[in-house]
Amino acid sequence: MCKNMPPLELAIQFHGHVCPGLLIGVRAAELAQKHLDITQDYDEELIAIVETDSCGVDAIQAILGCTFGKGNLIFNDYGKNVYTIASREKGRAVRIAQRFGATAFRESERFRQLNRKDSLSEEEAAEKENLIGVLFEKIMTMPPDELFAWEDVEFKVPDKAQIHATLQCADCGEGVMETRSHNTEAGILCTPCCQKRGGEAGV
Amino acid sequence: MCEANIYIDRGSGEELLMEMVDRVIPGEENNIFMESIFGERRVVKARIREMELVHHRIILEEIKEAAEVQTMEIWLEPDTDHGHFHEGEEVSLKLLKGYNMKAEPAAGFKNTKAFVTNGGEKTELHFHEHDGDKNLIMGQETEGLIQVYAVDEERLYAKLIVEIGHHHHHGLQPLGLPLEIVPSSYSHARMGDNYEIQVLKEGKPMAGVEVRATYAGTHNRDYPHHLTTDSEGKARLYLTARGNYLFTVSDEGIISTFTLMKSF
Repeated sequence: MCKNMPPLELAIQFHGHVCPGLLIGVRAAELAQKHLDITQDYDEELIAIVETDSCGVDAIQAILGCTFGKGNLIFNDYGKNVYTIASREKGRAVRIAQRFGATAFRESERFRQLNRKDSLSEEEAAEKENLIGVLFEKIMTMPPDELFAWEDVEFKVPDKAQIHATLQCADCGEGVMETRSHNTEAGILCTPCCQKRGGEAGV
Repeated sequence: MCEANIYIDRGSGEELLMEMVDRVIPGEENNIFMESIFGERRVVKARIREMELVHHRIILEEIKEAAEVQTMEIWLEPDTDHGHFHEGEEVSLKLLKGYNMKAEPAAGFKNTKAFVTNGGEKTELHFHEHDGDKNLIMGQETEGLIQVYAVDEERLYAKLIVEIGHHHHHGLQPLGLPLEIVPSSYSHARMGDNYEIQVLKEGKPMAGVEVRATYAGTHNRDYPHHLTTDSEGKARLYLTARGNYLFTVSDEGIISTFTLMKSF
């Protein structure tokens, strides 16, 4: 890369657009970096447990390098803007929770109204663009303690993600991870093929 | 008066904007925030023309400001979205005429000249005309900061600082234009920066003048930002949009722009 991208731009590039949710994730990721004195993850030095699947998680992935693909992003579907970031090397973890109502700006509700619309008039598109600008500055310049509550937490660091053998499904012939395969009378099956034969869903 | 209906005049008569409004808050940059008893909220660029309290009516007038006049201005754009050029790379720029970073090809140029300054030396550049475009192809420049400016109709100025290579933070002098926007401290601008510029008139700081700012691809018909210079002729803008920004100042018929290149 020609110039090192700052965290904010990394997150926007990854997510594709700017929105308040992403910016909250940017602030959370930067807070975790500062609090734990960590840099972007290379190979699972960091683990993130996120309690939401909203936009902010993309900032966690882009900035901290805790990603779905690497296996160091754990999703608990609690619907909460809470991010717990742990460092294997530091032996520490911090739980960062967005304060209730912290971003309940008067512009936020109108932004959400426009965001829910399938199509926007030119005037509405300009209004939404201007609202993003206002919310951007507010969220990115808020003192961290107004936006989040955070605390060090005990955290049992899980083992690093394992790479398992790939087996061939007896029905479709495609490869399937050993730990996700089903050993049936018809042979080794992947989950979709197992389900087609009336097997139980899941693994 | 309890709730009121808000009407807006966009130049062709009043139209209903929002019903049963119970909060109206004038904000910065001509924004008026309103909220209805149903929880609907809107923000519009307008001024309050009249409040008919007996009839529960508030009439707004949309602010189009300079958009109504649509005074043409010129500005320079780099032929890259990378924010800077590399050493050895061909530096290519475009001169555009229009308003609010929206080019108006029919505007036409008149007595247009362009110059490059590098380390105090000023050289005239020649335009390459192609399909009505005015391009400046400067060849392969060595690493550093160079300033390019153009003048059209002898009163429209456009300035661009071209960064070749990486991270140059010093050595920039005003060009001495009759009206000029100068970045207070040149650095590679990023989203989230509070970017400061200074307005100079005949080389001296110009206090209390309006500086308009916009960015590439805006949906706004008019400039989305209106700043006012302080006693040192300085104004600041928090950068929240992707792409290049354009700062514009007008005075006594002269319109001067400064294009801020961003890499993102």
